[in-house]
Amino acid sequence: MKTTCIIVEDIQIAADFLRKFCEKSELVEVKGHFLNVADALEFLDREKVDLLFLDVEMPGATGFDLLDSLTYSPKIILTTSKTEYAFDAFQYHVNDYLKKPFTYKRFLEAIQKLQQQMQTQEPSQTILPQQQLPATPAQGSDTDFLFIKSEDKLVKIKKDDILFLESMRDYVKFVTPAKSYITYSTLKNMEEKLIGPLFLKVHRSYIVNINKIDDIRGNTIYLLGNQIPIGKGHKEEVTARLNIL
Amino acid sequence: MQKIRTAFVFDESLNATFLAELFEGDTIYAETVFEDFLKDLPVYWQRVEAAYDSQNLPVLGTSVHTCKTLFGYVGFTDLQEQCQQFENKCSVNSAEELRVDYILLIQRKERAQHIIEKEYARLRLFNEGK
Repeated sequence: MKTTCIIVEDIQIAADFLRKFCEKSELVEVKGHFLNVADALEFLDREKVDLLFLDVEMPGATGFDLLDSLTYSPKIILTTSKTEYAFDAFQYHVNDYLKKPFTYKRFLEAIQKLQQQMQTQEPSQTILPQQQLPATPAQGSDTDFLFIKSEDKLVKIKKDDILFLESMRDYVKFVTPAKSYITYSTLKNMEEKLIGPLFLKVHRSYIVNINKIDDIRGNTIYLLGNQIPIGKGHKEEVTARLNIL
Repeated sequence: MQKIRTAFVFDESLNATFLAELFEGDTIYAETVFEDFLKDLPVYWQRVEAAYDSQNLPVLGTSVHTCKTLFGYVGFTDLQEQCQQFENKCSVNSAEELRVDYILLIQRKERAQHIIEKEYARLRLFNEGK
């Protein structure tokens, strides 16, 4: 089966090359090409792909801004003409880094390496390595707490104490009045675990505790000194859930 | 008698080794890319000029960055390096300090554009079998 991808690239010649390489390889199916981050995110809200070919410097927002906004974790190949982003790429756990302009040979190496990684990861999906344990709600009952793996230990957090959750691509930040905790998981995963009357997804990158909201001004939720944006696509649900008259 | 076709040889100012790897002998695609380059470069370069005129150095840097990528696809690897140095200077120098580098970059870009115009014409003739 082909790997599905999108191309996020503001230079048409570069995008055309990538599309041509994908077609030539017969390994990758291009589902779309987007000239900027906003259009790519709009597409990714509707449809999931296996892989993003992502430029870094684009008008409006950078490729890293897109990664910050993702609610799931596709494979990422950065395509940029700057080598200075290597450290950031490492921080964001990107799968490969292609310096533009690159040849078909280099492209193919990246794809084959990626597909090998995907194949070796598939069988182990049910047993996550210890350092990648996602947040785990207490099993078997509708408890008012959960455990998250943070800094090499399982931390018990009362759901009531959570102010909001913020997506950090492969990680989620739990913010409480006393402390913030970062755990390896996705916001989508958390959304499923925290489903109920207490929590509400207000933006592709944020889930808030409804009880902790102080006030709402325009498209911003104020919550114990924190400002959380309300995403366009979530406004209707926010209005409905918060009994806004 | 059948005419024997020799491979297309790029202008010596271009990185022929890299272009050979990039296009893998596909001169039709090379023609398309060179045509796109000639169409896109003036659009991107306008942004460079506007940013320099308004002394908006962060935008100047990102605009030169875009042109740098474009130069790479037609084999100007040395000009890419010049663009990279200019781009780096945009974050530390003033517009006045960049003036000489900017003039040199314009001159180099003009020469590059002229070479690609000629290469594009040669590629067209080559692909038409002339």
